[in-house]
Parts: sequence; structure tokens; C-alpha cells
Amino acid sequence: MKNELNVRCVMSKDALLLTETEQAVYAMVDIKAGSRIGFGATGANFALVLDRSGSMDGEKMDNMKEAVGYVVDHLSDRDLVSVVIFDDQVETLIPSQPAKNRDEIKASLAKVIARGGTQISDGLKAGLEEVKKGYAKDRVNRILLLTDGRTWDDEELCLRLAEEAGKQGIAVTSMGIGEEWNEKLLLQIAEKSSGDSHWIENPISILDVFKGEVEGMQAVSAINLKVVGRMNQGVKPVRVYVTSPMIADVSIKSVMGGSVIAGLGSLDGRKGQTMLIEMRVPKQKAGKYRVGQIEVTCDMPSQGIAGQSVKSDLFVTFTADAAVAAKVNAEVMNLVEKVSAFKLQTRALTEAEAGNIAAATQKLEAAATMLLNLGEQDLAETAEREILSLKKTGALTALGTKKLEYGTRKLTQAIR
Amino acid sequence: MKCTECQMENIEGALFCEECGAKLESRQELVEAAEAAGGAQLILATPDGNKLDIPAKDEVVIGREDPISDVFPDLDLTNFGGMEKGVSRRHAVLHRAGADYTLEDMGSTNGTYVNKKKIQPHAPQTIKAGDEVRFGKLSLAVRAA
Repeated sequence: MKNELNVRCVMSKDALLLTETEQAVYAMVDIKAGSRIGFGATGANFALVLDRSGSMDGEKMDNMKEAVGYVVDHLSDRDLVSVVIFDDQVETLIPSQPAKNRDEIKASLAKVIARGGTQISDGLKAGLEEVKKGYAKDRVNRILLLTDGRTWDDEELCLRLAEEAGKQGIAVTSMGIGEEWNEKLLLQIAEKSSGDSHWIENPISILDVFKGEVEGMQAVSAINLKVVGRMNQGVKPVRVYVTSPMIADVSIKSVMGGSVIAGLGSLDGRKGQTMLIEMRVPKQKAGKYRVGQIEVTCDMPSQGIAGQSVKSDLFVTFTADAAVAAKVNAEVMNLVEKVSAFKLQTRALTEAEAGNIAAATQKLEAAATMLLNLGEQDLAETAEREILSLKKTGALTALGTKKLEYGTRKLTQAIR
Repeated sequence: MKCTECQMENIEGALFCEECGAKLESRQELVEAAEAAGGAQLILATPDGNKLDIPAKDEVVIGREDPISDVFPDLDLTNFGGMEKGVSRRHAVLHRAGADYTLEDMGSTNGTYVNKKKIQPHAPQTIKAGDEVRFGKLSLAVRAA
């Protein structure tokens, strides 16, 4: 059973200074598929939930049809696929079925014309029903939601459906085309279901994003991935972030008293998953101290393995030697910096939305400096342009907001 | 621990300021390290960890090499994104007097910054280990060698 899951737990500091107060320390939990794991052996159960509203007409619709054609051509015969199209009405164009009737699926889609408004929840609900029909614990169960518009007064319902999907192990990948959609809603749909989200600036890129999703699904090497952190008495986990497929704060659903319990869905064999746990450690006497234990569990259907478990203990040493305690692990430092940039950006946008222009400007300025230090010149320049926009108009631009929201969440993807 | 940028009080052990995102600790640690080393020679470092040795001269011209204009600075930032990040050909001069270093902007197009504050051209400013200097948009950390 060796080498099927590689789990590496690294503390931000190996040594902490003896103090009279509690102090902050970070643990990075890096999870990778072992070298013996092959990809593509986990079956897929896939619903495509596609916007057919009037604004999709033309290039967007043409590219979307081409992208769906690619998806059905690249799924295996045993994978399940369904296609739901929605405007302000919903239609299950292809009910859940093995992906072998490729020509039939493409022909049905070819007849679709753009019309009507946008009611995302109806599409999401129908897509969820289709995935549930073929749901199996040993499959990658996923919904791909594509839209180019703002939904009509059903945001709350969309989020409830995403949460329901997430609880059942069905991840929703949300995709927005162009600029006229609600990035906050699509990001929340992804986060609530442990899915991914993409911003597709140009319709030509729809195919690339769909390709990436199919490849990602075929690269899944483990499912039902779960991280449990059991901390020593007095150690308080305060925040938990996941970094794949994008940075997300999962503290609210993962921190339970002195424990961390996080369901992370599937493990992309190419990217792995990295979690960051920020905690408070109480004062201690000099010497080695066990902070807690991390247990990672998952199933690997392709290997016929259920309940694979890897445990790793977290230690720090308390010392009076300031030089030893000053050493910070560079890898964890880099991860914390990226998460901090994401947090600053999020707070800046929240302040801007609330009309607190001065606070938003200050946070964006700080975020721009951090992004520059991280070598993210484009994002730093976007932040600087948004500062100017805030000063001139009191508001952020739709384009800049999307760039910052998506750019900072994907900061951890560039290093992989 | 207090953030040196925004004065916000952060919990002991935090790596970045909750309020402004500034890096905590490192500056103090580096100052202490420099003091412990008795004012040792300084180096510059990029955010991704590349180290730039400062030539052992009393005056070190920092900028971007341009053979056409016959400009060959002592410390060439071309390979660190100098062109894209707006470093001038003769951007700044680092003066060394014993263990003391000062940085002088040479009237560069995009300015020189020490700890996020723009310095006036031709007005040398003291720098020490733990400081952050920025030439245009190229940030470098000052460290003890």
C-alpha cells in the first residue's frame, strides 16, 4: 500500500520562541498522488448545464457547441454524460446516459438556438438531478455550468443547490463568459461545492477551458479526499485554506473546536492538493512539542482501494534561542503570502462594495505591493488601475474586479 | 508584534500583517542579523530568492545595461525584469562608507523607493539590512551578506 498517497506536513517554523503568550503557527499539508497511480481509471458522471439565453447568440454559442463536441469525443464509453440547456426555461436535452451516442448528442445540441433570459437555478437543479441518477461513490461526479449573464433573483437558490451538490460529493465547475455575469455568485457556487471556477474572457477560449476540465477529470487519482486534523489540547486551529483548484477559505465548514475536518472532493493527480492551517499554540516549556496529527483519507477506485489513510504528526520545538526561532520555512512562507494577497484583495472588494472607498483603496494599495513582491506584475497593475477607478468614480470596474477575483484565487496554480 | 508599516498589533508568530499584508518579523530579524555581524556587507535579493552581490566599490551604479548607449552599470538589473519594470539605464547609485550604505536616485524616470517611500533624486538615503528598495517596479530586499 506504499506510495499510493504522498502526504507532506510542513510547519512554518520548526522552532518557536519561548513566550508568555500563545503564538501563531501555520501547517502546510501537501497531498500528492503516489508515483504508481495511473490516471483516467476513475469513471466520470458528468452534467453539462449550458446557458442558451439570447446573449449567447453567435460566437459564444458556436464555440460552446464545438467545446461540447470535444467533451463527448473525449469521454470513454463507460462515462456518463447529460446535457441541460437553460434560459428562463429549462430543458434536459440529453438525459444521463453512457457517452457512447456521440453523434446523437452533437446533433441534438446543433439544433439549439439562443433565446430568452437567464435563470441559472433551474438549469443547476436539472443538472443535479441528472448527476444524481448516475451517482456512484467510486465515480467523479461533476457539473459543468456555463453562463454569460446575471441570473434573475434566484441567487440564494443557486447557492443552496451548490451546497447540496457539495454535500453529496458533486462538484460544480462554474464558468462565466465575457463581462456581464456575477463573479461573486459563480465563485460561491464553486466554493460551496468544492469545485472550480473559470473566467472565459473570449468565446474562443471556451474549448480550452472544457478541454482542461475533461483532462482534469481524467487525471483524478483519488476521490472522497478528506483531511482530519486532531490538535493537541490548547492548540486552536483558526483558519483553513485550500489552494486547489483555487484558493478558498474553508474555515467555517472545516474548523470544529480543536479539530479540522475538511472534505476536499477529488484529487487531481497532476496538481495534487495543498491545505494551509493557521493555528494558535499555547505557551510551552522548552523542548519538542507535538502540535497535533493530520490524517488524510481517500478512495482510489482505479486501484481497488477504499479508505486509504495516511497519518502525519506535527511538531515544533520551543526554544530560547531567537536566531533558531527566527527561521521560517520558505515554501510555507510563500504559500502564506499568496493566501494573504488573496485575503487582502477580498477585503478590498468587500469594502468597495460597502462604499468604504478609503478603506478599499488602502487594502488595494497593500494588495498591489504584495502582488508586485510575488512577481505578479499584471495583477498588481490591475489593482493600481482599480485604485484610480475608485478615486475617480467611487467604484471598481467589472473587468478589473473579475481579474482580481480570479487572479488572486489562482495564485497558487502558477507554481505547479 | 507591531507591523512597522501600519502599526497594527498582530499576534506573535504571524508572518504577514492582518491589516496591510506587510511582511512581519523579517525586517527585525535581518536588522538583528546585520547588527550581530557588525555591519557586514549588504546584498540585494529578489522576491523569489535570487541574490545579487553588490560589487565591492565605494560607488555602485545600479541600472540597466544598454550597449548601444554605452551604458554598463555596475549592477545590471536587465536579467531581473529591469526593462519591463521600468528601471532606467542609470537608475541609482549605492554609496558605501565603511559599514554605512546610502542609496541615491539619479533622476530616474520611474523613481526609487525605500520601504515604499519615494526618495528624492540626488538626495542619498541610508539603507540597512531589512529594508526594501524598489527601482521603478522592481522590488529588492536588502540583506546582510
